Amino acid sequence: MKVKFWGVRGSIPVPGESTNRYGGNTSCVEIRPRGGWPIIIDAGTGIRRLGKSLMEGAFGDGHGTAHVLISHTHWDHIQGMPFFSPLYRRGNKLHVFARQQADTHLQAVFASQTEDPYFPVPLVALEAEIQFHELVEGSQFVIDQTVVSCTRLNHPWVAMAYRLDCDGASVVYCSDTAPFTDILLEHEFISKPPTPGAAMPTSMADKLAAMRAGLVALCRGTDLLIYDTQFTVDEYRQRPHWGHSTPEDALIIAREAGARSLCLYHHAPMRTDEAQDAILLATRWTAKQAGDPFEVIAAFEGLELTLGDDQ
Amino acid sequence: MRIQFWGVRGSIPAPGPETNRYGGNTSCVSVRSVAGDLIIIDMGTGLMHLGNSLLTTEFGKGHGKATILLSHAHWDHIQGLGFFAPVFIPGNHFVLRGQGKSSSMLEGILEGQMDPNFSPLYTLKNLGASFDVRAVVPGEPFMAGGMRVTARSNPHGSSTALAFRLEEDGRSFVYASDAGYPDSGPSPEVLALYRGAHVLLHDTTYIPADQATRRNRGFSSYEQAADAAIAAGAGRLVTFHYDQDYTDTDVDALRDACRAYLDDHGGQHIDLIAAAEGMQLEV
Ligand SMILES: [Zn+2]
Ligand SMILES: [Zn+2]
Ligand SMILES: [Zn+2]
Repeated sequence: MKVKFWGVRGSIPVPGESTNRYGGNTSCVEIRPRGGWPIIIDAGTGIRRLGKSLMEGAFGDGHGTAHVLISHTHWDHIQGMPFFSPLYRRGNKLHVFARQQADTHLQAVFASQTEDPYFPVPLVALEAEIQFHELVEGSQFVIDQTVVSCTRLNHPWVAMAYRLDCDGASVVYCSDTAPFTDILLEHEFISKPPTPGAAMPTSMADKLAAMRAGLVALCRGTDLLIYDTQFTVDEYRQRPHWGHSTPEDALIIAREAGARSLCLYHHAPMRTDEAQDAILLATRWTAKQAGDPFEVIAAFEGLELTLGDDQ
Repeated sequence: MRIQFWGVRGSIPAPGPETNRYGGNTSCVSVRSVAGDLIIIDMGTGLMHLGNSLLTTEFGKGHGKATILLSHAHWDHIQGLGFFAPVFIPGNHFVLRGQGKSSSMLEGILEGQMDPNFSPLYTLKNLGASFDVRAVVPGEPFMAGGMRVTARSNPHGSSTALAFRLEEDGRSFVYASDAGYPDSGPSPEVLALYRGAHVLLHDTTYIPADQATRRNRGFSSYEQAADAAIAAGAGRLVTFHYDQDYTDTDVDALRDACRAYLDDHGGQHIDLIAAAEGMQLEV
């Protein structure tokens, strides 16, 4: 399979010279099983260019099918959806997967993204056929030859991590999440963060431990672990309740799960290319010191990786 | 008054080396009065960068006050609000004026973008700064930051967007983004709003060929912008709200074509400037 990054940024797109190399578009990764339709993870602004490139193939004639797995519906993970060109061509099919919410249908969430007064073209006016599929954590399903598994993450309003297995290889997408140590993030708004390292109620600690175990199991032996590493350690200490991790947190999970490679992802909006280079170098150094056998890379727009059997 | 551009792009931010010169952030313009008061027009992603620059001023200490004029609530005009650093500092105060049948409806629209499905902020009430949200009555002037402000409504696809005229000491600046006129052009009220503006910033999302295929979207090409500037007797025309697909070279070409169009249609005396991120203009 091929894995291609179309948007690697977190929170908000950041155009400008300081992000030319890593790219300023928000979250979007395309997984292309050998000979198969694209499976897209997240629909941040990066999906706009992916859509354009897909229109050069079957999607341009209205004969394309794409599956989109949404980690969560925060704006930086869905903003590009109304700018995804294949949606405006009759005959194309889109399957959208995301976690089931207690009180809102997935379709209603996406419909409100484009309703008046926020966007000029409502969901119902799109030409392509869109189907929504709601997921519960732990569920497993098959898209053509690809097995998809998921587990929940520690993020406000809850996000999903996905694992895709096909062509004798696997990739895990783990964004957005806080580490599983200091705070439980679910549906409550948390205005004042706890002090990292402070004791927490047992019920909370148990829930975090279970969540962490679920993630480690999902990542077990994966060829590529894509991980939210938006924060530096200092930034995390100031904002543990924002729901993002550091490269150190990612290393710990990758190590425990026996991942084959780790990809830093969901870069902070104000992180310049030089600062991101420095974070990558520091993370590689830490991994080397720890004797980690896996490679560490940092995602950038346009990066394409081939995993497993893809001849 | 002094104008500065923080975001000049339409619809969706357009990062990449090909937009470095004009910039890829969405609509946001700041206006400083002679006395130094601040008016912000639209809250696209450019607002984040304006906010960061304000942290060294009174806004960093929680003593900042500004008026925000909102043309309409499409995402490219509101996305920056949750990333505008001064709103997280208690003590800062913002008067926000935009379109809506009532002030509470306008506030509800802004609440909608903070909805927990979309944003980790959950509600406007979680922002530290205080907000006074008020719907504008088109045609009724009001004072903001020592400037006299008048708004008029333009058609914009299936909805509308406000255009604003700001006046101070006999100088005038008009902001008219997201305008999709009928074939007859701007309404008499809108043309009166533009009349004699020293600086007319106008929607130039498209070149005419692209506009022809996307008519229903409610944007202008440089031809409607130039026609409006000529009809209103504007001193200077500023192009703005470029299509997300336009590279810097495309925008250069749009500007040159607009210059040629002005020259051919009786607008030789109108000064033309293509808005770019970071650019400042003294009115
Ligand atoms: Zn995110
Ligand atoms: Zn998020
Ligand atoms: Zn717009």
